[in-house]
Amino acid sequence: MSAAQITFDRSAERARVAAERRRLATIDLVITLATILLALLIGFLVMLVVGKDPVKAYQALLTGPLSRTLRTGRWLEDATTLIILGLSVSIAFRARQFSLGAESQMYVGAMVGAVIAIYVPMPPVIAVILPLICAMVAGFLIGLIPGLMKAYLNANEIVATLMINAVVFRLYDYFLTYVFTAPGAQQIRSEAVQPNAVLARIGDIFKFNFGRVNTGVIFVVIGVILVWILLTRTPFGYEVRTIGANEKFARYGGINTKRTIALSFAIGGAIAAMGGVHLLLGVHNRLIPGMAAGLAFEGIVVALLARNNPLLVPITGLFYSYLRVGGDIMEQEAQVGAEIVQVIQAVIILLITAQVLIDLVKARRARQTSQ
Amino acid sequence: MEQALQVIFSASFIASVLRVATPLILPALGGLISELGGVSNIALEGMMLAAACTGVLVSVYTKSAWAGMLAGVAVAMLLATLLAFFHLNLRADLILAAIALNILCSGATTFVVYLVTQSLTGSGDKGGTSTLISQQMPFIEIPIIKDIPVIGTIFSGQNILTYAALILTALVALFLFRTRIGIHLRAVGENPDAARSVGINVQGMRYLALILSGFFAGLGGVFLSMGYVKFFARDMTAGRGFIALAAVYLGAKNPWGTLIAALAFGAADALSIQLGNLKIPTQIVQMIPYIATIIALVLYAVVQRQRAINRQRKFRQAV
Repeated sequence: MSAAQITFDRSAERARVAAERRRLATIDLVITLATILLALLIGFLVMLVVGKDPVKAYQALLTGPLSRTLRTGRWLEDATTLIILGLSVSIAFRARQFSLGAESQMYVGAMVGAVIAIYVPMPPVIAVILPLICAMVAGFLIGLIPGLMKAYLNANEIVATLMINAVVFRLYDYFLTYVFTAPGAQQIRSEAVQPNAVLARIGDIFKFNFGRVNTGVIFVVIGVILVWILLTRTPFGYEVRTIGANEKFARYGGINTKRTIALSFAIGGAIAAMGGVHLLLGVHNRLIPGMAAGLAFEGIVVALLARNNPLLVPITGLFYSYLRVGGDIMEQEAQVGAEIVQVIQAVIILLITAQVLIDLVKARRARQTSQ
Repeated sequence: MEQALQVIFSASFIASVLRVATPLILPALGGLISELGGVSNIALEGMMLAAACTGVLVSVYTKSAWAGMLAGVAVAMLLATLLAFFHLNLRADLILAAIALNILCSGATTFVVYLVTQSLTGSGDKGGTSTLISQQMPFIEIPIIKDIPVIGTIFSGQNILTYAALILTALVALFLFRTRIGIHLRAVGENPDAARSVGINVQGMRYLALILSGFFAGLGGVFLSMGYVKFFARDMTAGRGFIALAAVYLGAKNPWGTLIAALAFGAADALSIQLGNLKIPTQIVQMIPYIATIIALVLYAVVQRQRAINRQRKFRQAV
């Protein structure tokens, strides 16, 4: 056998790999879209069963966010928060860790950011950047706690993060009531942040009613790029992905899995804190009670739909917040509880994680292409 | 006189610990069984919530607490079966599927309560069923015991489900360690491949473990809305399903240990209620059970690690 016969055609191989990758991506896309449709259909059936007018309700759900600029603004404002949450969750998810601590990390981020943005006078730009950085450091540290517990003590991260959420929520409430709220104030809320620290509302800039969408959307751009670089272009990202693929292999391969796992929680915490700062400086301009309530689980579906790919998270975040805002509008206009969106969300998660369904679709497509 | 007061105070405190711990003991038993079966059930929380809601609503319509209890437990077991089906037959990730169930239950209960209050009272209430008349599981005075000073205060007049929790702990211990099925279930949790090789139905045991955990979570949920209080409130479980899981770990995955751990969490909770009467900010007081849970998680993990290290050392010495 001569050497020429076993030369390896690089370009052909590369093309084959690219084609394979495209094929898998198409399958993922098909599955995702089918899942969403199926979940919406189930929601539709539920409303049919309970005797509501599902057509009217779904019209409100699916067209509501685009019906007025104010509502579109609400959608984009909510999407900003959800995309950041999705990014935060996707880092730990990539390492097959389930961090549900986003809620507490947002509260801590908002609190630390508030201390600086309210009480320390600063010039423009710095007045945004300094609270942001301090909040991210705080989020990093609070995220590190469950990370260390999981990585070094093998404590259940779900119980740990949820308990930390419960504690931090009450701490936040305590500080808000007794420290941030001025004595004798009418309402429980902090003072407004300094004018320099406010993230300008986009509607104010272009002079139309666009709700509370603000320049905090820049956080999304920064966050996406940051997480993408971190996950795909750094040794840390390689370690995270290797652990996610096979933790034992990663350990035998010489990766300090414990450190990487702990860091994946902590970095997720820093990103979630960005979300807290967005709520503080962009949306509310002050601390208010229950600012990040109920956001603990919302990042999961965003990250799952995007297959933990940071470049896709903005798309899925926009989609899911569209449903959330649409749900609120549906409640106003069709008297159907917005909680049906939670039901739809749960169905999406269940279907998208059901491996057998995915294998079925893949097998079908493989058969079709081979024919 | 003062001493007597103190005794009465402490006896009633212990009685309240039992009451507060009941919605932890019951789901913790469920968590224990699923944990030992190798399929840890993160969805205890959602199952409790669904059972609490169903129990109240069925008792509103039927005017029977027992019918409510049966319906509540049945719904929780149904959800557990659904979880088992998705995990075992459709190979969904157990944790993600369970998280989805929790979200589902939180959303669906609020949705249903809104619908029902709307149709019965005219105005929909998302917060809970306080505007409806629901039933409560019976409280039982135990004849002779109720007349004994301290013990009577503690052990008599509790809800029937509180007694059930204590009795069920013993039954679970019997089941897990003294029956063939229980031992098979633990074997599957310990090492599924080894269990399969000796002919144990691994899939069946996991189904059983999850469905039983649904049963106990259901009882816990029913107690919450039909014993502890007499209404359903939105997200009223408030993390008890997760605290119950922590109790399983802290109790070293043993029924009696789990009972003691759940009682300890109950004591922390009861203490926070007692302290609520003092001039301490409620937020700080309410943190107590959750901080206790975090400390317990760390404590359990540290002990577990130390044990592993000791075992290794012994092994090396033996070699």
